[in-house]
Amino acid sequence: MSKIYGTDENKVKALDNVSFSINKGEFVLIVGSSGSGKSTLLNMIGLLDRPTNGKVFIDETDTTNLTDDKISSFRNKKLGFIFQFSNLLTDLTVLENVLLPREIAGTSDSAEKNAIELLKAVGLDDQINKRANKISGGQAQRVAIARGLINNPSIVLADEPTGNLDSVTSEKIIQLMKLMAKKLNQTFIVVTHDRQHFGDVDRIITIKDGKAFEGNLPSEMGVLA
Amino acid sequence: MEYRLRLAKRMLFNKKGSLIGAVLAVTIGILVIHVNFVIFQGLFDAIVRDISNYRNGDVLITDEEDYIDKSDQALVNWFERIPYVEAATPRLSSTASINMTKFGTLHEETRIPIVGVDPLRDIRASTVHETVSEGQYVFSRNSIVLGSNVARDLGGAQVGDSLKVKIIDRYGQDQIKRLVVTGIAKSPGGQGFDYSVVVHIDTLRDLMNRDGDTGSIMVKLNDPSKASDVKNFFLAAFPNDDFIAETIEESAEEQLAGFRSGIAMINMIGYFGMMSSAFAIVTIQMMLVNGKTREIGVMRSIGATRKDILIIFIFQGMIIGAIGAGVGTAAGLGYTFYAKETKMSFNNSLPLEVSYNWEKIIQTAVLSFILAIIASLYPSYRATKLLPVEAMRTV
Repeated sequence: MSKIYGTDENKVKALDNVSFSINKGEFVLIVGSSGSGKSTLLNMIGLLDRPTNGKVFIDETDTTNLTDDKISSFRNKKLGFIFQFSNLLTDLTVLENVLLPREIAGTSDSAEKNAIELLKAVGLDDQINKRANKISGGQAQRVAIARGLINNPSIVLADEPTGNLDSVTSEKIIQLMKLMAKKLNQTFIVVTHDRQHFGDVDRIITIKDGKAFEGNLPSEMGVLA
Repeated sequence: MEYRLRLAKRMLFNKKGSLIGAVLAVTIGILVIHVNFVIFQGLFDAIVRDISNYRNGDVLITDEEDYIDKSDQALVNWFERIPYVEAATPRLSSTASINMTKFGTLHEETRIPIVGVDPLRDIRASTVHETVSEGQYVFSRNSIVLGSNVARDLGGAQVGDSLKVKIIDRYGQDQIKRLVVTGIAKSPGGQGFDYSVVVHIDTLRDLMNRDGDTGSIMVKLNDPSKASDVKNFFLAAFPNDDFIAETIEESAEEQLAGFRSGIAMINMIGYFGMMSSAFAIVTIQMMLVNGKTREIGVMRSIGATRKDILIIFIFQGMIIGAIGAGVGTAAGLGYTFYAKETKMSFNNSLPLEVSYNWEKIIQTAVLSFILAIIASLYPSYRATKLLPVEAMRTV
């Protein structure tokens, strides 16, 4: 797929004929320098934006022609999001934030029990009734991970999940994501410019000037196209 | 549905300034309508009340031939047999010239309205006697009660003064009679006989050479809502006479018509005020939407549809409308209660006739609630148009 912003002489090719597939249960890192197009790629995979050309398949479903409502439903059921700034809703409590995707889906059966289990797994079961703006950045990111997992999505997409955290907390969040991925056999696609902290992962895709390469060192790169 | 309502409430209640602003906008809109209603409808009803109490009763009987020649005694007795009728009394009217010498100076006033009353019956059907602030009401054939303005124009006439009344009778002849002032009438708001004089009906009949004639029969009911029934009953009972029977609304129509259009205009101003409140809600909710752009983006990214976002902000409009309608109605009722209990008047003028018009109260509350929802539609629609990626970039 490709993504082009602007028109005519102001055209910017954010993604240039990128094509790859990710298998279930893989922990994939998307790395690249600032402005390389990695977040754009994540937005395409997360159906938050549409490619100019090409298609995104998730669980063998072509998402290109889905209506806005279908895309919302798809995002809700098949995708989990973890953002750089956690993006919790500060008007809600920790538990309510985790429950929100389930409530949007309209399936509240055992939702609260699942949410508490997830919060326990991320070590925040003692904070469930706190307002989301009353917890630390690291705790908020853990809540975001729990929220991303509550609907048992096909893919969890994380955009710079440690970008706003100190190195100690970053390390903890990374380990937590890897643990959850392993424990739940969950596909994780993580965009980061902080390759080193992640240690061993299943795959690394490097984005450079809108093109995607397999691997993390330019000399080792195999073009993904 | 539950989470959307919860989110709507939390988002709104965590922005107390916006909530208070929006609720105040609705409250003030409703309060303006209540205050307008209390003052202007109260004034209108007070005028109707005074016209009814002082001049026309609830049903006024006149004759196409200007004068009723049927026995007033018989007509009054006929009316007072109807259970809805409190009392009935005959009246006769004309104009007079009055002169009086006070401290050696002759004061003369012409074209003064003069009303003849049956004192014994009048005090049961009318409250004019209660407006006599000095002296007492007409009690004999040679007594006269002056309206306060007439007394002033006659050089400060007082109880006990003697004056001459001149009337042109039915044959065009001047008829003069000397009468003694027994009372001065002054009504709050001047709807009474402040610009008239009151004499015994038989005295006026003599002066007018209209023995046995009556100008009108004023009928006071114990249940004014039965006025039309009494009127129709009367007209059916006397089909061959040329009587005219009118309810207070009909007989005072000329005096009230201007007022009615004034009230309609004031109501329009009130409703425009309410619409201004709706614009205030639009502005405040736009601020709320702008303040929650990032949250909207997050909700969209985790699966909320445009409809979900629309419903959240419409719920906010409903919450603002419900609280505003409740507070506004409570404030309006409080003001109405205060006005009623204190018999509110302005500059010691006419005391307002304050009433609780529940139909209008509910209608105003419901209208403001609906307006708040309508006002929330545009901000809600704008919220749905935010793209998740763009919205989440907002800090």
